[in-house]
This record gives sequence, C-alpha cells and structure tokens, in this order.
Amino acid sequence: MVLEATMICIDNSEWMRNGDYAPSRFQAQADAVNLICGAKTQSNPENTVGVLTMAGKGVRVLVTPTSDLGKILACMHGLEIGGEMNLAAGIQVAQLALKHRQNKKQQQRIIVFAGSPVMHDKKALEMIGKKLKKNSVALDIVNFGEDDGGKTEKLEALLAAVNNNDTSHIVHVPAGPNALSDVLISTPIFTGDGEGGSGFAASAAAAAAGGVSGFEFGVDPNLDPELALALRVSMEEERARQEAAAKQAAEEASKEEKGGEEQDATMTERASEGASEADNKKIEIADDDDTSLQQALAMSMDEPTSSQDLQDTEMSDAAAEDPELALALQLSVQDSTKDSSSQADVSKLLADQSFVSSILASLPGVDPNDPSVKEVLASMQNQSEPQQKQDEDKAPKKEEEK
Amino acid sequence: MACTHDHSCEDHDCSSNWSLYKHIDLSKVTALNEANPGSVKSVFKAWEERLNSSGEHLESNEGDPELLVYIPFTSDVKIKSISVVGGADGTSPSKLRVFINRDGIDFSDAQSMQPVQEWDLVENLQGVLEYQTRYSKFQSVANITLHFPESFGGDTTQIHYIGFKGEATQLKRDVATIVYEITPNPSDHKTRAETGGGLSHVE
Repeated sequence: MVLEATMICIDNSEWMRNGDYAPSRFQAQADAVNLICGAKTQSNPENTVGVLTMAGKGVRVLVTPTSDLGKILACMHGLEIGGEMNLAAGIQVAQLALKHRQNKKQQQRIIVFAGSPVMHDKKALEMIGKKLKKNSVALDIVNFGEDDGGKTEKLEALLAAVNNNDTSHIVHVPAGPNALSDVLISTPIFTGDGEGGSGFAASAAAAAAGGVSGFEFGVDPNLDPELALALRVSMEEERARQEAAAKQAAEEASKEEKGGEEQDATMTERASEGASEADNKKIEIADDDDTSLQQALAMSMDEPTSSQDLQDTEMSDAAAEDPELALALQLSVQDSTKDSSSQADVSKLLADQSFVSSILASLPGVDPNDPSVKEVLASMQNQSEPQQKQDEDKAPKKEEEK
Repeated sequence: MACTHDHSCEDHDCSSNWSLYKHIDLSKVTALNEANPGSVKSVFKAWEERLNSSGEHLESNEGDPELLVYIPFTSDVKIKSISVVGGADGTSPSKLRVFINRDGIDFSDAQSMQPVQEWDLVENLQGVLEYQTRYSKFQSVANITLHFPESFGGDTTQIHYIGFKGEATQLKRDVATIVYEITPNPSDHKTRAETGGGLSHVE
C-alpha cells in the first residue's frame, strides 16, 4: 500500500519484432505493462502510473502519471515499433516526469523494460543510477529479449548504483514458454517489496496458472459452473474429434493426395467450431460430422456407392423440416455428380406428381391446375425416354410457365 | 553571522531557547542523499544532547557530500537562529542554504533556486555557534528545507545535531477542519456557564 508514482519505460525498438516471447516481444511487453498498471492502481487508489517509449524517433512520454487506468491502456494502442532504444535518455525523462508529479507525497519509481542491447557504457549508467539514488527514486529493471555479453552486467551495475535498501530490483526473463507477465507476477516488481502481494496479483497469478487450482478457460467455476462445465466438455470433445480425424487423415494420406487432407482439416475445424456452442447439441453434431467427414472423404475418392449416402445424410442434416427443400437440394447436388445415377433420381422425382405439382405451385405465375401444366406432367410421367430429353423439356417448360 | 555563548550555561537554561525541536513533525521529516534512510530523525534532539553522538547521525552517501533536509513543523514557528553540529575530519558542512514553506524540493531545484538565506558555516563540533536569521523572513514557517551543498573536504557530510531557536505560534497552515451542524443541540455543547461559571466557550 505504498503511495507511489510510477513511470514505465517501454522499449519499442526494432528488436521487439522478434517472436521468441509469444506472440511477439512487443506484445508480451504490452501485456506486462497492462498488468503492472492494474496492480499499482489497485494496491493504492492514489497511486499514479505514467508511460513513455524509449525508441522510435526519440523518447516520448505517452501519458504523464495518472491514476486513470483507461487512459493508460488506451495510449498503449497504436504504438509503432522502430528505431533504437535510448536507455539513458529514457530514464532521465522518466525522472523528470516524476519530479513534476502532482502529489509530492508519492514515492518515485521507474520501471524499465530493457529488451534491446544497451549502447551506453557502464560508467554512464552508474552515474545515472547515483543520481536516481540521490533523489530517492527507485528503479525496477526487466531484462528480457536480447542478451549480448555486456548487457546483463551493465544493468546489474546500474541496479547496484540505484539500489537503496532493496527498494530497486532487477528481473531477468529468458525466452521460453512462459509469458513475460506470468514470470513478472511472482517478482517483487509486482508484489511490491515483500508486502505479500496484493489481491490483484494473487488472482492474476491464479488465472495465469491455468492448472487444476487455477481458473480454466478464464471462467471461475464458482461464478458460473455451467459455463465452465460446458467449456471443459467441448474441449474434450474437440480433442477426441481431432484424434479421430487425425487417424482418418493418416489412413487416407496413404491413398489420397494432399487435397483430401486439407479438406479434412478444414472440415474438422469447421466441425469443432460449430460444436463448441452448447451442451447437448454438441454430441449430436459430433456424430453427424463424423459420418459426413467419412462421406466427404469417400466422395473425394470418387466412390459412387457412398456418394448417395452422403447426399442423403446432408439432406437429413440441413433440411430436416422442409422436404421440398431437401429434394430440391438433392436435385442440385445430383446435377453435379455422375449423370447416370443422378438422372435416374431426377426422373424418379419428376415422376412423383405430387412433388412436381408442389414445386410448380411454388413457382410464381404457375397454376398447377392449369390444363397445359397437367398435360405436361402426364406426358412426363409416361415417357421413359432418355433423361436428357426430359430435362430439356422440363427446362423450357418451366421457362414457358414463368 | 555567528555568535558564541559568552557565558556559561549553568546560569540559565539555554535549552529552553532551543526547544523548537518539540514542534517538529518528526514523522514527516525526510532527507535526500542520506546513507541510511530515516537516520535524519536522529539529529533533532534537546540542546543538552547535541554533542551526544552515540546514537545515529545523519550521513550522506559515499562520495557525495550534498544533503537536503526537509523539516515540517506542527504549527507555524518563528525562527531566530539555527545551530548545526557537524562531524569531524572535514565532514562538517561548509555551506547552508534554506528554503521556506516549499515542499517537494529536490537537488536540481535546490541548486537552481534562490534561497531565502544562506550562510557559510564553520566547523562547530562543540555546538556553541548559532547562525542568526533575517527574522522578518522567518515569521511564519510551516516547513523549512535545509540544503548543505558541500563539506569541508570530506567524502561525506555528517550532521549530528540541528537546532532551531525561536518561538512557536499556535497557528497552523494546514487546511482547517470545520464541522457544521445543521441542527445544533445545545445539550451537546456544555458551557461553563451551566456547569459552574466562567466564560461560556463552545467547542
């Protein structure tokens, strides 16, 4: 609960494009900054935090120390990466910004994110450190990113010059699977000189852990148990489905080209996305997707026997309520597959008078009771001529009737 | 301008003159460039103990003899003179610059600003020297900042005692807290007239 004014110095140099900290160094840094701002403002409502960038065209103060968290988060948007970091100037400008804080009772603190190599020599940094110590400004250094020979040594020397009774700290964060913010949460930078961690830091740590004790999927099981359960089930379903799809893909890969696999992959993704919605529907959709997946694969392998089943299944899926629509769909699908089988179906459909009349009824300007229409229907039924002729008849007739 | 005690102190009680230390708000005293945080509070003590260096004293950081001490008072005071006891071997401060009623001064401010008054100090290991102020400027001092820019050649500056001579007024510079009562109840404010005589005095 120390009353503190903090200036955060961000490194937005070219070195921050690197992706060794997921998703990129700059993004990891931005997340850490957001977390720190939240922790500081929560631990004491009168705390103020300001932000400045050290690279780019020059040192630039984005926001002077303020307790308005929204302002701080807003200024982090649209930051551009470029240039080289100027550590000395950055720290000096930060010191100046702190000197002009509104509440002189606040302790002064600077937090530096040093991601790119440090160009200044040790002597210069030590001078800066001494000046900070003389004016009782504390300094926290986050050493991440580039790690050429002298950098760590220089930063340690700077810390030794500044440190007054352990109020200043340095943290070395190597690249790895852990996010920058997660590593920082457990350091004194967050917990504030051994106060034991504020409530914010503790809950942030729990969320970040993501383990059994933490909050999975960012949802508190105590607050919303159904949602948490739904998410967990969907995760397991997706895992199972992906395993099954992977197995299939492995099998098909031996016979099929890559195209089938990609299709399989996209269908898996679509299937999994669609399935992560609700509780019970998921399971049903999963089953349907499995079968449709198999049929899709079979189709791509040009097996005529299974294609019909596929189409039927698709029809049942998509058009359960509308038989007319289902049949129409079937028609359109069959137009694109082999002629013989499709044509047979088309003729069967056309032979079904009720179906034809219902279709005609839905056409604008067509009256099924029109004698001419009835004539045509009758003639179509009686004919067992080549299907193409039927199609031709049907097509122009439809146009006529329109 | 220094003056020495040309009489022995047994005749009268010198320490009553130097009793302004009682009006110092010790919890809010701060110093910049002190080697041990908080050691500045040890230099404010009674006149008799000014030479008692067994306890802590104020020392600046190694290699840098500059010191800045911020002293708030609990009420406005009038300061007549200041006494400073330094350390031996050149660690006594050689100059003193004071600023009145300004808080948040740091070294760059202190070096650039014009002080209210400044003195060249001499080594005062026995604590018999005092430095008079331009009294008209020190009439209502709520807080005072002492800036010691240099020492007598030592690596650090040591200060064992800082004393103020003057008088305290009962006035404060702070924000006044006033309670307004919408429906005052006289029975809450017992006056002396009711309890037995004397001037009535509503608190």
